[in-house]
Amino acid sequence: MKVDPITFAVIKSGLDSIADDMAYTVVRIARSEIVKDVMDFSAALCAGDGHMVAQAKTIAQHLGAIPEAMASVMDKFEGNLHEGDVVIMNDPYHGGMHLPDIFMFVPIFHGGARRAFAVVICHHTDVGGRVPGSNASDSTEIYQEGLRIPPLKLYDRGVLDKTLEALIRINVRVPDRVWGDLSAQFAAAQVGKRGLEKLIQRYGADEVDAYMQELLDYAERMTRAEIKHWPKGTYRFVDHIDDDGFSDQPIPIKVAITVNDDGTLFVDYTGSSPQVRGALNSTLSFTHSLTYLSVRCVLAKDLPNNVGLFRCIKVKAPEASVLNPVMPGPCAARALTGYRVFDTMLGALAQIVPDRVPAAGEGGNSVICISGLRPNRQPFIIVDMICGAWGGRPDKDGVEAITNASQNLSNMPVEVMEAEHPVRIEDYSFVQDSCGAGRHRGGVGIRRSYRILADEALLQMRTDRVRFAPYGLAGGAPGAQSRNFMEVGNERTALPGKITTRIGKDTLIIHEQAGAGGFGDPLERDPSQVVEDVLDGKITAAYASERHGVVLDSSRELDVAATARLRASRSGISEGARHGG
Amino acid sequence: MDGIGRVRIAVDIGGTFTDIALLTDTGLIHQSKISSTPADPSMAVVEGVAQLLAELSIDPAVVAEVLHGTTVGSNTILQRKGARTGLITTHGFRDVLEIGRIRMPDMFDLTWDKPAPLVPRRHRFEVNERMAADGSVVEPLSEATVIAAGEALAAQDIEAVAVVFINAYRNPAHELEAAAILRAHFPKLLVTTSCAVLPEMKEYERTSTTVVNAYLLATMRAYLQRLQEGLLGVGIKAPILVMTSNGGMLAADVTCEKPVMVVASGPAGGVVGAARLGLARDDRDVIVFDMGGTTAKAVIIEDGRPTMTSEYEFRDGISTSSRFVKAGGYMLKVPAIDIAEVGAGGGSLAAIDRGGLLVVGPESAGAMPGPACYGLGNDRPTVTDANVMLGFINPNSLAGGKLAIDRSRSEAAIRNHVGGPLDLPSADAAHGIRAVANAAMARAVRAVTIERGRDPRDLTLMAFGGNGGVHAPDLARQLGIPRVVVPPMSGVFSALGMLASDVEHTGLATVGRRIDVMTADDLRVIKDKLQAQIAAQLARDGYGAERTAFLWEADLRHEGQATELTVPFEGEDFAKIRERFVAEYLKTYGYQDHTPIELMKVRVAGRGLRDNRLDFRGMKIAPRRGAPGAGTRQISFARGEPARTVDVVARSAINSKPRSGPLIIEEFDATIVVPPDARVHKDAIGCIVLEFAP
Repeated sequence: MKVDPITFAVIKSGLDSIADDMAYTVVRIARSEIVKDVMDFSAALCAGDGHMVAQAKTIAQHLGAIPEAMASVMDKFEGNLHEGDVVIMNDPYHGGMHLPDIFMFVPIFHGGARRAFAVVICHHTDVGGRVPGSNASDSTEIYQEGLRIPPLKLYDRGVLDKTLEALIRINVRVPDRVWGDLSAQFAAAQVGKRGLEKLIQRYGADEVDAYMQELLDYAERMTRAEIKHWPKGTYRFVDHIDDDGFSDQPIPIKVAITVNDDGTLFVDYTGSSPQVRGALNSTLSFTHSLTYLSVRCVLAKDLPNNVGLFRCIKVKAPEASVLNPVMPGPCAARALTGYRVFDTMLGALAQIVPDRVPAAGEGGNSVICISGLRPNRQPFIIVDMICGAWGGRPDKDGVEAITNASQNLSNMPVEVMEAEHPVRIEDYSFVQDSCGAGRHRGGVGIRRSYRILADEALLQMRTDRVRFAPYGLAGGAPGAQSRNFMEVGNERTALPGKITTRIGKDTLIIHEQAGAGGFGDPLERDPSQVVEDVLDGKITAAYASERHGVVLDSSRELDVAATARLRASRSGISEGARHGG
Repeated sequence: MDGIGRVRIAVDIGGTFTDIALLTDTGLIHQSKISSTPADPSMAVVEGVAQLLAELSIDPAVVAEVLHGTTVGSNTILQRKGARTGLITTHGFRDVLEIGRIRMPDMFDLTWDKPAPLVPRRHRFEVNERMAADGSVVEPLSEATVIAAGEALAAQDIEAVAVVFINAYRNPAHELEAAAILRAHFPKLLVTTSCAVLPEMKEYERTSTTVVNAYLLATMRAYLQRLQEGLLGVGIKAPILVMTSNGGMLAADVTCEKPVMVVASGPAGGVVGAARLGLARDDRDVIVFDMGGTTAKAVIIEDGRPTMTSEYEFRDGISTSSRFVKAGGYMLKVPAIDIAEVGAGGGSLAAIDRGGLLVVGPESAGAMPGPACYGLGNDRPTVTDANVMLGFINPNSLAGGKLAIDRSRSEAAIRNHVGGPLDLPSADAAHGIRAVANAAMARAVRAVTIERGRDPRDLTLMAFGGNGGVHAPDLARQLGIPRVVVPPMSGVFSALGMLASDVEHTGLATVGRRIDVMTADDLRVIKDKLQAQIAAQLARDGYGAERTAFLWEADLRHEGQATELTVPFEGEDFAKIRERFVAEYLKTYGYQDHTPIELMKVRVAGRGLRDNRLDFRGMKIAPRRGAPGAGTRQISFARGEPARTVDVVARSAINSKPRSGPLIIEEFDATIVVPPDARVHKDAIGCIVLEFAP
C-alpha cells in the first residue's frame, strides 16, 4: 500500500480522537463518582480482526489487557457477531482483570463486513460479593468477590437480554448506578461507532482498515528501532508488596529483562511470589499490560498505543504465581500488584536507560472504601482513590499530587463526595517531610481524612508501602512510608496498611500516603531549592539540615557558611553510609 | 458632522501593532494601525483613536462606544506579572490549588511537570470555618483566624487575595463575612471571593478560577482606568466594552470585577468576525488562521459557529483546550472560544540553538525594537526579515508607508545569525526561517483539525493578520487545504470582527430539581429573576427593553450524571423541554434513558439589538491614503529555485475573474502571496480567494 502521509496522520489522530470522544461520553453520563470523577475507565478502538489500534488517554493499566479479553470474546463468538450485538465480560479467568471492571465490546459493521470494535471498560462501584465495592483485598476465592460474567451478549442484534439484565441487577448492591454506568459504556460505544463510520465514509472502509494495519506495523517498527539502541544484556530488579493482609509475609516481585539484538525484549518474572491467599493476584493479562506500559513509558513520546508495540515484548510469568494465578485465586485488589510490577520494571529499566527513569513513586493509589446505610436505609458506597507522587528524576525533581504514571486517575472533589455521601473530608493536603531526599527530591505524599457521619460504616483500606518504602535511585533516599490512623474522640490509634473493619459515627480515618524516592546525592541538592521547600513548608528546617546539610538563619534565609561547614562534615559520613548500605 | 452621526470604534491590541476600525452609521469603515506600547498598552489606543478621529475630522463626542479586545489578561499570566496573590481557604484545604485534579495531559510521559501554582504554598493560609454540603454551618467562621491570615499576607506584601471556602457554592455566608473582615482590617488588599466569581460545585475548579481572577484584578483595573482616563482626555465619553473569551462583550466596570472572563479576549474579535464573514459568503466550515507579530492562532468554525469550550487551561507554548485532558495549565472554568496558539509570528526571532538546529520563536522582537529591517536596535533576524529579504513583503516600507524599512538590515541579520553559522547562502537561510516558522504554525492548525480527526482538506483556510496572507498559502499547501480566503482589511480584521459582534450578557441560575416535580410557575419565577438581572445590565449599556432579545437554554441530565446536555427552549412548558432533551439525548448517546430528568441550570443570553452592527454583505471600506502602487519584484518561491519576475498589484486590481499566480497583492498593511501554482479572484464581499489545484 502506498502510504499518503497526510491521510495516515489524519487517520491516526482521527482514531485517537474518536477514542477520546468515547471516553468523554463516559465521563458525561456515567452515574458513579469512581467513573465520572476518578475516571477509572478506558475506551479503545480495535480493528475488525480485534487488534487494538487506539486507546483514549484514560487508564494506562488497561492498555495491554484488551488483547486477551478480545481473544476470549472471539473464542466464544467468532462467526456469531452481528450488527447491534453488545458483548460484556468481567471474569479474570476469561481475559478480564478483576470483577468490578466490566468490559463491553461493540462490533462495528460497514457494508456487511465487520470493520472494527468499540471497547469500553468501566470500574463499577459494586458487582456484588461479600464486601461492598467488590474490591476487598481479604477475599480468598474469586467466588467471594462478586458476580462473574463470562463473555455474554447483553444485546443480541439490538435486543436487550432482559434475563441477563435482571441477573446483574439483583446481584449488585447499587443496581441503578451499575446500570447507569453500563448505559454510559453503551453510549460511548455508539459514539465510537458513529465516529468510525464518518472516517469510513471519508476514506473508504478498505483504506481505513489498511491504515489501521499500517498503524500496528508503524508502532512495531518504531519500537524495535529504539530498543535496538539499548545496551544488550539481562537486567534484574526486585521490589515488594508489604503483605496480603492475612500474613505479614512480604510479597516479592522479581524481574529479569533481556534486551535482544533484534530490538525485542524478554521479560521474565520467575522468582516472583507464588499465588497469594488474599486478592492481590494479578491475572496474566494484567501482568502483560503493566509490562507493556512500563516499557512504553521509556520510549519516544509520540509512539501510537497499540498492539504493534506489544509484538516486541515477550513475557514469562510462572503459572500459579501472584502474576499468573489459577482458579479460584481472588483478584479484586490486583491493581496494587500491577503498581509493584511497574515499580519493579522501572527499577530494571533504570539500569538500561538511566537517563529516562525516575526513582519510585508512591507505589500506587490507595483505595479507601467506606460503605453503609443512609438514614433512609439506602446503601451508600464510597470508593475513593488517593494519588500520588513521582520520584526524583535524572534531571529534575519529582512531582507531587499526581496520578501514578501507570494510571491516569483523577480525584474525587471533596464537595462532590460530601454532597453525595454521609462523610466529611477534614483534610486533603501535603504531608510535610515525606519526600525522599536527593539531588532531585521525590514528591511529598498526600493526606486525606474522613469523618464518618453515618451511624455505622464498614471501612476497607487497601494501602501499601507501609513497610517497603519507595526506592531512591543513584544515591537518593527512599520516600517516607505510608501511615494510617483512626481517631475516636481524642484518641488516635495506628491502623495497618490493609484492613476491613466496622467503625462508628464521628470516627475520623486518616490516611497518609507514601512520599516518592529521591534521585542522586541529597548533599548535592542546590541549597536554594532546599530553602524554597522550607519556606513552602514542604520540608522542615530540621529535615533540611539532617538530609541536605542545609542551614537556614534566623530570618529563614540560607546560611551559606554554616551550610558549607555542615556539608563538609557530612559528606564523609554520607559516603560511608552509602557504601555501608 | 451630521453625516457622521454616532460612530463605533473597535480597538485590538496585539503584541506588535494596535489596530483600530471605525464604523460610521452610514456603514463606512475606516482603519488605522500603530505600534503597540507594551509598557502601557492604553497609550497606543488613545493616541491611535485620537489620530484617526482627527484625520477624519470626527468630533470625539459622537463616538457611541469603544469596543476593545485586549491581551492584558493573557500577557499578565504568561509573563507572571500579576499581583502578588494570596489564598485563604478552609482549614485542611490549603493545598487544593496545587493538588488540582491529579491527571496528566499525556499518558506514558515521565518527564512531565505540573505548572507551578500562581499562589505558592507560603502564601496560602487556612482559617477555621466549615460549611456542610447542604449549606448548614458546621463550624462558625473564626474572625481571629481571618485576621491572623490577613496579617500574615500583609507581612509578605500580598496585594490580592482569593477567598475560597469548601461548600461556599451552597452557602456563601462565611466567604462574604471573611471578605468583609479583610476589607475592614486590610483596606489595601484586593479581595475576591469564589462565590462572586464562580458559584459552582467542585473546589479545585472554583479555587483556580478565583485565584486567576484575584491575580489579574489590579492589573486589569489599572489598565482600564488608564484607558478610560486617556479616552476622556481626548474627549471620548463613550462606554468601553471589552470582548470576552467567548466572543461576547462585557462592560468595563464588570470586567474590573471579573477579569477572568476576558483572559482570551485578544483573538476573539477576529474569530467572531470570521464566523460572520463565513456565513456571509456561504462558507460554514472554516479554519481561522490569525498570524500576528508574536503568535499564530487557529480556530475551527463549524456550521457557522466557532467551537467553544466551557472550561480551558491557560498555559505556555501551544495551548489547545482539550475537553478531556486536565492538568495542562491554569484551569479557568469560564466559557471561551476553543483556540490553539503557537509562539510563531512575524516578529519571532530566528536563531541557531546549541545543537546546531535552526529555531524560530517563541522569543519575539515584538513592536520595539521589532524586526531587524526596522533599524530600531534589533540586529537579529525575524520571520518578517526573511519575508522582506525574499521579496514577499515590500522591501521599502510597511503600514502603507508609515514605517520605513531597510532590506539590507534584514539581509545582514540573516547572514550574520543564520546563513553564516550554517554556511548557507542568505537566500537559502531565509527560506529555512520561513520553513521552520511554517512548520510551527501548521502545528496550531493541526491541533484543531487533524488532532481532532477533522480533515483540513475539507475546509477553507481564512487567514488574516498582517502576515496571514503571506504564510497561509504555504500552510495550505503543507496540509492539502484547497482554498485560502483573505478577508478585506485583513491587517486589522480582529478589530473589524468586533464591530460585527453583539453586546451580550449571560446569566445563569442553578436549579438542581427533577422536572417531574416542577411547575411552569417555578420556571417562570427563575426566568423572571434572571431576565430582570440581565435587562438591567443591558440598560446600563444603553439598550432599553424594546432593543433587547433573550435566548433561553436549559441544562438537563438524568439523575446522578455528572454533566448536562444543553437544549434551547421558549416559554415554560416542561413537556416541550423534556421532548427536546429526550431527542437530543438519543441523538447524542444512541440510547434512551428512562430514569428521572433533572433541570440543573437555566441560562439566558440577553442581546442588545444594534441598529448598526456591521454587515459584511453591505460593507463599504473607506479608501485610504498610502496604498502601494504597482510594480514588479524578483522572487524565488522555493529554496534553490531561481528568482522570477513577479507582478505586484493592489487589491483593487483583482476582480471576479480568476487569474494565475505568481502574484503579490499589497494593501495598506497586509500582503497576500499568490504562489505560481494558485489561482486568485475576488468574491462579491471583497475577499481575496486563492485556489490550489488538487
